Amino acid sequence: MKKLFLAFAIVWCLALLNTAQGQTPAPAAAPAAPAEAAAAAPAAPSPVPITDADVKGVAAPDPKDLAKGDPGGSMTGTVTDVVVSDTKKGLTIGDLVNQAGQNRIAINFVWTLVAGFLVMFMQAGFAIVETGLCRAKNANHTMMMNFMVYGVGMLAYWLIGFAIQMGGVGAVGNLGGTATLNAEQTIHLFGKDLGLWGKNGYFLMHHGTYDVAVMVMFLFQMVFMDTALTIVTGSAAERWKYAAFLISSFVIGAFTYPLFGNWAWGGGWLATLGSNFGLGHGYADFAGSGVVHAVGGLTALAVSMIVGPRIGKYTRQGKANAIPGHDLMIVLTGCFILAFGWFGFNPGSTLGASGNGNLRIGSIAVNTMLAGMAGSFGAMFYMWLRYSKPDASMTGNGLLAGLVAITAPSGFVNPVCSVIIGLIAGVLVCISVEFVDRVLKVDDPVGAISVHGANGLWGVISVGLFADGKSNYGGSWGGVPGSVTGLFYGDAGQLVAQLLGVATLIGCIFTLSFVANLVIDWFVGQRVAAKAELEGLDIPEMGALCYPEFVLKMDTASVD
Amino acid sequence: MIFVGIIVTFLGFLISVASLGITASTGGRLGLVIVGIATSLVGIMGILNQAYLKIAIWKK
Repeated sequence: MKKLFLAFAIVWCLALLNTAQGQTPAPAAAPAAPAEAAAAAPAAPSPVPITDADVKGVAAPDPKDLAKGDPGGSMTGTVTDVVVSDTKKGLTIGDLVNQAGQNRIAINFVWTLVAGFLVMFMQAGFAIVETGLCRAKNANHTMMMNFMVYGVGMLAYWLIGFAIQMGGVGAVGNLGGTATLNAEQTIHLFGKDLGLWGKNGYFLMHHGTYDVAVMVMFLFQMVFMDTALTIVTGSAAERWKYAAFLISSFVIGAFTYPLFGNWAWGGGWLATLGSNFGLGHGYADFAGSGVVHAVGGLTALAVSMIVGPRIGKYTRQGKANAIPGHDLMIVLTGCFILAFGWFGFNPGSTLGASGNGNLRIGSIAVNTMLAGMAGSFGAMFYMWLRYSKPDASMTGNGLLAGLVAITAPSGFVNPVCSVIIGLIAGVLVCISVEFVDRVLKVDDPVGAISVHGANGLWGVISVGLFADGKSNYGGSWGGVPGSVTGLFYGDAGQLVAQLLGVATLIGCIFTLSFVANLVIDWFVGQRVAAKAELEGLDIPEMGALCYPEFVLKMDTASVD
Repeated sequence: MIFVGIIVTFLGFLISVASLGITASTGGRLGLVIVGIATSLVGIMGILNQAYLKIAIWKK
């Protein structure tokens, strides 16, 4: 039965992929030739020049009508609302042109900021997902880590990280330029100048970065960075020293995350793999499967290895014990909050809703929804078939895995491929959790390494496979004309660029995170004392229980 | 062993990046990047993780 289901799933995926690729409709039958020759088409009218006088003649609503109120809205937002630069001259063509430009940038500012607000709210989702998957005796500590990661990350990013990541990104057309983010440290290698890190923007005051467009960019990028940081708190929960968490989060927010962020999004060497080395359009990561989720997931792996497993997680023979969380209700509610916030995460990454292909925001939002849905089904049916029950926490993780996986390709793929990517992600997260838990014997209370690490990497790779070349964000991407196209649609170079990103994440970013946390372990110590861990971290670390009125179960030393 | 694991993991990254200078062929670069990824995974799962499993708390 299981083999039949698996065979059906594979055939269904292949059929979906075939449907996604073969979309050329049959040509319509040619119309019959007309009996008489058609009359010659009339000549196009000559263009009529518009002058300032024409603009001045546009009628404004009568003040007497306005005084009666405007319930229908037809008299609100008219020629009188256009900003006039010189009241003596009155309204001119120049005023109209400037207003159109400002409107476009204002639309893009509002879109990017509101999307950023949605992503910020994901912190609440992560907090309750992680806390629900941990034991009640650690709830205060887990919530506090998720609460303060927002502040610690923001501080690190404001002081140092933003400058490193975006200090040399150059003009961002959707936001009106960001002209002051124009200093990038490069290295000359293989005959090319490869970007390493940015140099403008420390404290958001350095070198002219006290700028309206830079502020929008900072807010949006900062909430993404915080998502990466909060991932780590889940995998190291229930035994991570609070002081070590603060230092580790600061280091990731200030250095590790921004470094890869620069390479991928800040004009660094990964982004220019296409223009420099002919590899597709360079490493393409639309909203951060690699930059955010894989960085977070791989850092989580590094920290979990250093901190070690919880007491009682493994027997002396190395057999894994399940340690259930204390509140599944808030876990699944948190998953919904995250899914809601993801509408800011992916569609918001256009950095605008006007111009340069930004009307694709609807397509990106739908891709996001579909992949999340498919991920939840993939995980639910996998667990149902394997363990005879649909597991709630893994189904929630399946939704998240689908969302993580679609994050990179969301701007480049069609809905059918989104479902395929999400479905694979849902199954992958289940397999990965078992692998990390039972083979690697790395303890991860919330599955962060599998949800974000494994599926972040899958999302990066899926761009190189499924990008269909139909998107158009201003006629080029990564300095290469045309649209991002993956292997299945004809560009193998894009896959190589994506795999280089994967290699960088696994080989370089993991190493940096590991070394940084190793140093923290030497100086501060990462893990709490065994007595504190068995008692629960709420009292020893935070001084207060999350649930003071409940009777909590305390573990004794539980090896074997 | 931890130090060796760190070196091997980072070496995988260097192999992948070196592909850009060693060959201009897409297939050649693909091969080298895959070798690099595999090297890094050996460093993480085969060396680093094994080093930590030897001192795991559940073995004490």
